[in-house]
Amino acid sequence: MRNRSRGVIVVAAIVAGIAGAWLAARLLQAQGPAGAQAVVPGQFSPYTAPRTADGHPDLNGIWQSVSTANWNLEAHGAAPGAYPELLGAWGAQPGGQSVVEGGVIPYRPEALARRNANFAQRTTASVPGDGVDPPLGDPELKCWMPGVPRSMYMPYPLQIVQTPDSILITHEFNGSTRIVRMNWEEESPVDNTFFMGWSRGRWEGETLVIDVTGLNERNWLDRAGNFHSDAVHVVERLTPVSPYHIAYEATIEDPKVFTRPWTISLPLYRRMDRNAQLMEFKCQPFVEELLYGRFTKK
Amino acid sequence: MRIIVTLVVAGIAIVAAGAPASAHHAFASEFDARKPVKFTATVTKMEWINPHSWMHVEVKKPDGTTESWMIEAGSPNSLFRRGINKNTVKPGMVVVVDGYQARDGSRRANGRDVTLPEGRKLFLGSAGTGAPEEKK
Amino acid sequence: MSRRLRISLGVLAIVVVVVSVLAARGQIRWLPSALRGDTTAAEGWTPPTTPWGDPDLQGIYNYGTSTPLQRPQSVGEKPVLSDEEAEELQDQIATRLDRDRRDGGAQADVSRSYNEIWMDPARMRLTADKRTSLLIDPPDGRIPPRVERPPTPEEQQARADAELSTRRFNTGFQESYRDMDVGNRCIIRRRNEGGGHPYLPAIYNNMAQIFQAPGYVVIYSEMIHFARVIPVDGRPALPDSVGTWLGDPRGRWEGNTLVVETRNFIASNDVGRTGVVYGNANPKTFRLVERFTRVGPDTVNYEVTIADPDTWTRPFTIMVPWNKTDEQIYEYQCQEMNYDMYHWLYGAREREKRGETFDPNAPGARGQGGEG
Repeated sequence: MRNRSRGVIVVAAIVAGIAGAWLAARLLQAQGPAGAQAVVPGQFSPYTAPRTADGHPDLNGIWQSVSTANWNLEAHGAAPGAYPELLGAWGAQPGGQSVVEGGVIPYRPEALARRNANFAQRTTASVPGDGVDPPLGDPELKCWMPGVPRSMYMPYPLQIVQTPDSILITHEFNGSTRIVRMNWEEESPVDNTFFMGWSRGRWEGETLVIDVTGLNERNWLDRAGNFHSDAVHVVERLTPVSPYHIAYEATIEDPKVFTRPWTISLPLYRRMDRNAQLMEFKCQPFVEELLYGRFTKK
Repeated sequence: MRIIVTLVVAGIAIVAAGAPASAHHAFASEFDARKPVKFTATVTKMEWINPHSWMHVEVKKPDGTTESWMIEAGSPNSLFRRGINKNTVKPGMVVVVDGYQARDGSRRANGRDVTLPEGRKLFLGSAGTGAPEEKK
Repeated sequence: MSRRLRISLGVLAIVVVVVSVLAARGQIRWLPSALRGDTTAAEGWTPPTTPWGDPDLQGIYNYGTSTPLQRPQSVGEKPVLSDEEAEELQDQIATRLDRDRRDGGAQADVSRSYNEIWMDPARMRLTADKRTSLLIDPPDGRIPPRVERPPTPEEQQARADAELSTRRFNTGFQESYRDMDVGNRCIIRRRNEGGGHPYLPAIYNNMAQIFQAPGYVVIYSEMIHFARVIPVDGRPALPDSVGTWLGDPRGRWEGNTLVVETRNFIASNDVGRTGVVYGNANPKTFRLVERFTRVGPDTVNYEVTIADPDTWTRPFTIMVPWNKTDEQIYEYQCQEMNYDMYHWLYGAREREKRGETFDPNAPGARGQGGEG
């Protein structure tokens, strides 16, 4: 009896040993050098960000989208861009995949026509006072503050400065800035006025949720002419998913323009250059000839 | 010994650091002191924007036709701080506009005073400066 | 006289002599502590720190005041007023500044737009310390003389051009967007007064909010939506090849004081009539050192030393208290809804079509065409 049970134990131990070795071999195959986890684009290992003193994920830092969403939120191939005879490859649009969940923005039919008209007139820079309302031309071209969510995926860095009561988000492009007031009840004092909206934030676990109202019908969502009305309501979600990435989502709701709410998502990358900083990018002087040159005395 | 402090205006910027009040915006460059306007009008739209707010109004003329005017006002941010907002000036409100017309003759005026409907003289500024009654 | 009294008087005499000598050598500033922009906090009050140990300057502030930048000549050498004198001066200034006034005729009336409700009420009050000037050094409270130098032919031409440009602006015959100043063009708040730096009180919008995070202090000016990110981590300044409108700051802590040095201004003043930096100084040699110190729960003292050996004969220092406010900061879009640029330019062309012409000697042509 004793011999048989000992034998069983030995066999079990051998089997376990082989199984373990097999499992280990499979795991090692999946690991990169030095035992790191496999890196798969689109996937992040579970991550808990370091905390600020008041116990929330720390989003402080300089971040930047690396995408072509600012050209076009929907999937797009390479294209000549504006004035190719002058700007050649500098001005050309690179190809890019859609950042819209589901791929396509759900426009109402009449709104889609407006989107296409926007694109056709994207370089016609009308100015306040010239009687054209809504104004023509891509607001980015005119050095206008790009609004939300567009400022989050412009190809320039942004800096998050986080305090318990309010979070400042400032962008290199034109020094555009917004203040996210945490747990704030008061609504925007005015409608259809603020280019960077009226932002109120709260924490949901690892995620900063920002509710944005008070945006402006003059904002565009990208250079392709995608747009919204003054009725737009944007809800953003920022979740740190690694020391170097924030998963950024924005849900856009605007019954005047779209048939249903829709969501974009893309990563924000931490700028890791030594001494990374936002540089001043005041584009106002660069657009004056474009905007006002036609009124110069001949 | 009490030093009687008097203001010496000539050559000294008495006003706090910034430009003297009269040089603000050089309104004289755009609006004509010889073209004062005063009318009662109905608000069609209020733009609470920077650098200057704009109030759009319809003025009814004696012959029954209406004219659209734009009235320029200040930066609205200090008004927001006092709780003045989109609910304070709404389309349909009847206001009294007192100002000066644009030099180029267009239907645009510098809103010197804008008085909201009775009981809501919010735009007439602070009380009791003792300034003499304006003669126009 | 008793022996003790003699000794006491003797000691007193020695003290007086020593202090006088030191003062004459500039090693003691005679101004009382409130006037020196002293960084000493009120008795019995401990300045707060952030969780990571930096002095906490955070809050929303209004630095509006009616205290003049320079000491008025009528006050003589008096650096501080008594309570009665302060009240009288404050009332006089407030009456003069009041924009509800309708005396002065139509021309003054046009210039006084808009009425008082659009202005910052904080600018009707002197600073709490009742100084007669915001300028605290030189001790006479006046900006030092400018360096006298015969202008080069290019400088003379530039001045003549700028003068004509100003007159075209003042009379409504602007030729192009360059006849507007940098504030009216929404590039920077005019001459960096308040919307950049130095932060000097203006007739409206003296609002700033200070945010802090490890390694940074950020000062957000409402007008023209400018978040000034000041690293305090000791990183080097940018090379001189980088020029900016608002400069690139570097900060460090000296005790409870944030010291900020700013360089990297655009090298050329050929940007329109009003230049890039304060006082139309030379942006290549202009130096700005600012000091922020919390001196009480509701007050941060802001002290700025301005120097440009190419422009002024010596540096000068200004102190402005920043007062905490319960009010909020709102968006100040500028470029986007700047109707005025169109109105000025289109209006000028329309008047020309009707045969009106620019007269550089028309009434109202002279004088600084001003801030938008």
